[in-house]
Amino acid sequence: MRPSLLSGDSAMKKSPALAVAVFLLILSAALVSYRIFFLGYPVLPAVVETSWRLSVRAEIQPRQEEEIQILLALPAEGGGRTIMEEQISSSSLTAGVFREGSNRFCQWKGESTPQGVEISYESTILVRPQKTPAKGIPPVSGDFAWIDKEDLLLAERLARPWTALKPAERIGAAAAAVRGEWKPVPAAADLDAWSALQKKRGGLRALHILLRAAQVSAQSVEGLRLADEVRSRPLRWIEAWDGSVWKILWPETGEIEADPASLLPLTLGDIRALAASPGRLISARWSMSRQVTSAWGLHFERLRSSGRFLDRWSLFSLPAEFQRTFRILLLVPIGTLIISVLRNLIGFPTFGIFMPVLMALAFRNTGLFYGLGIFAGVVFLGYAVRSWIDRLRLLLVPRMAVMLTLVIACFTILALAGQQFDLRQFMAVGLLPFVILTMVIERFYLLVEESGVRQGIETALGSAAVSVIAYGIISWESLQMTFFLYPELLAAVAALQILLGRYTGYRLSELFRFRSLGGTT
Amino acid sequence: MIREALRRLRRAGVLGINSRNADYIMRWNPRSHFPLVDNKVLTKRMAEKHGIPTPPMYLLIEKHGDLPALRKLLEGRAEFAVKPARGSGGSGIVLVREQSVKGYVTQSGEVISFSDFAHHVSDILSGIFSLSGLEDVAIVEALIHPDAAFAAVSYQGVPDVRIVVYRGVPAMSMVRLPTKASDGKANLHRGAIGAGIEISKGTTVTAVHRSQIIAHHPDTGNPVSGIQVPYWEEMLRIAAGTYEMTGLGYIGVDIALDRDRGPLLLELNARPGLAIQLANGRGLRERLEQIDRIPTGILADPGERVVWAKHTFH
Repeated sequence: MRPSLLSGDSAMKKSPALAVAVFLLILSAALVSYRIFFLGYPVLPAVVETSWRLSVRAEIQPRQEEEIQILLALPAEGGGRTIMEEQISSSSLTAGVFREGSNRFCQWKGESTPQGVEISYESTILVRPQKTPAKGIPPVSGDFAWIDKEDLLLAERLARPWTALKPAERIGAAAAAVRGEWKPVPAAADLDAWSALQKKRGGLRALHILLRAAQVSAQSVEGLRLADEVRSRPLRWIEAWDGSVWKILWPETGEIEADPASLLPLTLGDIRALAASPGRLISARWSMSRQVTSAWGLHFERLRSSGRFLDRWSLFSLPAEFQRTFRILLLVPIGTLIISVLRNLIGFPTFGIFMPVLMALAFRNTGLFYGLGIFAGVVFLGYAVRSWIDRLRLLLVPRMAVMLTLVIACFTILALAGQQFDLRQFMAVGLLPFVILTMVIERFYLLVEESGVRQGIETALGSAAVSVIAYGIISWESLQMTFFLYPELLAAVAALQILLGRYTGYRLSELFRFRSLGGTT
Repeated sequence: MIREALRRLRRAGVLGINSRNADYIMRWNPRSHFPLVDNKVLTKRMAEKHGIPTPPMYLLIEKHGDLPALRKLLEGRAEFAVKPARGSGGSGIVLVREQSVKGYVTQSGEVISFSDFAHHVSDILSGIFSLSGLEDVAIVEALIHPDAAFAAVSYQGVPDVRIVVYRGVPAMSMVRLPTKASDGKANLHRGAIGAGIEISKGTTVTAVHRSQIIAHHPDTGNPVSGIQVPYWEEMLRIAAGTYEMTGLGYIGVDIALDRDRGPLLLELNARPGLAIQLANGRGLRERLEQIDRIPTGILADPGERVVWAKHTFH
């Protein structure tokens, strides 16, 4: 039993805690960065994102009984948009998705039936607000064979006064011209010819010709507005390049769109969003609606379709009912971290380490107000009964059993009272950790007996305060989402816990306790 | 302000609870040696082997089956103390000063019937007073008659001397004096007084009562400083010897002073509290660091350690 006098030397070695903590932090950071930079995870997964549900339905009557081909323009990703949950279907045709330039199409092909074919497309479009507007892609010269020579000459005559202006100003002048506000006002004959041209070619084409004559690169676009609406045909507008971004012009009103982000282009260039050959469109419907599904589901869909290891091993692959458990579970370590901080750094008295966390979990069912009230009530009643029961001189285990029975009786009465007075929170009381509550009563009693009422009350209040803080943390949905997406953050939490475990400085409460030893300055 | 307060505490060499746990208890007290101090029966046997005096043990009650014979076994014992072997903070201790026809008369004059007494011992056996709630054993041992040295500054009960021993060297010490508020128990939490003892001379210096520095005993009104502790040298030797006995490097040694038997080792504590710093009006850390600098030669011998401590800690 004689101790080695040198035993201290081996213990003197520096604890490797710091190295372990650093390793865990690096591990955590590496995994998170990998997910963000290589798997494209959102940096702030909890940012509320608007999502839209696009649904396109069309019925096509084939002209003859032969192979039919239907082309539908699909929304493309980019400009802060992410396309998810795409569903393509048709009654009898085979479908395939392909890209052409910057456009995406779905092509249905197959033997048509005399009664016509139906196609449908649905997708969720996630729009993430971007701080800086997307950099426009400079235009490529398009095909202008459709412009008549004399129309172009007319437009060039009208646009000649603008040649000195900058592209953006030329676009403004053209837009104003559509509104009838010519500057300067051209000759009356030219104006009449212009009206005739508008009538002949339509507002969109006329504006396109005018922009072409004004040396502005432009393209016509079919698309939709991100708003709750249903359309039988897509919107058409002109995009004009002002040297740095595409300006959107409405050919009918001559207005320049103030909020380009609210538009969803489907086709760029002079291409119809829906075309069938051979065949006739009987009906078509584009409906756009704001999505009410939570951002959780979006991540789920996105990860489910990925083949990457970390995606397949994501918590999103769990069935939904188990996911809910893990959202909370992953935050419990943070709760204990907070408790470590409060106890070891501040010197907050609490009943054990886990009690406040378990109370916090129970508060999720009862709510904070009722939870704390029930907690206080049951502990107080339990204390009274425990003091009295001491006279019975019961042995330890049966005595604890009696106290447990008391706690459960309290729960039962509360639940029945809840039923009578329509207080759901009282009925949810059964989920409070009754074992913990029983032990709190016992520890509270012992503490009051051994160290006085003041110490007992202080510890009870400390525990309550810590459980409120822990409740706040585990109910924070942004944090839940962050940890759910990046469970490796647990390693970082562990690192902090380890670092805290090596904190050997004073607790805040000791400044008060040992104040008489500090002396004066 | 907080930073200033922190700096002052550090300058005063105050040992905080985090540092006590991480730097001293975890580093010097191997977990496997804890049972030696947590169980008073083991402590007693160990002390016997090392020639350290403890209150003589009359009886060891280990199972409920022994209870019916208890009255017979205690027959003729006028006075004794019953303790749980794993109790803490003095809970579960009954001090009997005489036997009557009705039962046992406790030190405070209360009469406990024989059956109630058996019930109490049964409580002890089932672990009511043990920290972990595990089954326990009950010790019946000689009652301590406190030495007259502290009579003027005690309210009933038995004062005891606490010596914090670091690597076998007595580092700091205090005597815990019962008060009315502490119900005659030498427990600082319950309101007993802690009076610091100068290691070099064995005289009390300053005292703390519920974190207040005091000069007089609240019940008797007598000054608590300047009292010479009898058998001081012997107490220091007992304390120093517990290092070889337990293998624990940071330990609180509780010694009672019996008027007939002299100093007796009551119990050992592997997690001694920090209030001793308040009782002495000085921090512990500086002393622990001084001890860390002692040459190994001195550390090897308990006698040398006592000489060193007496020479160093004023």
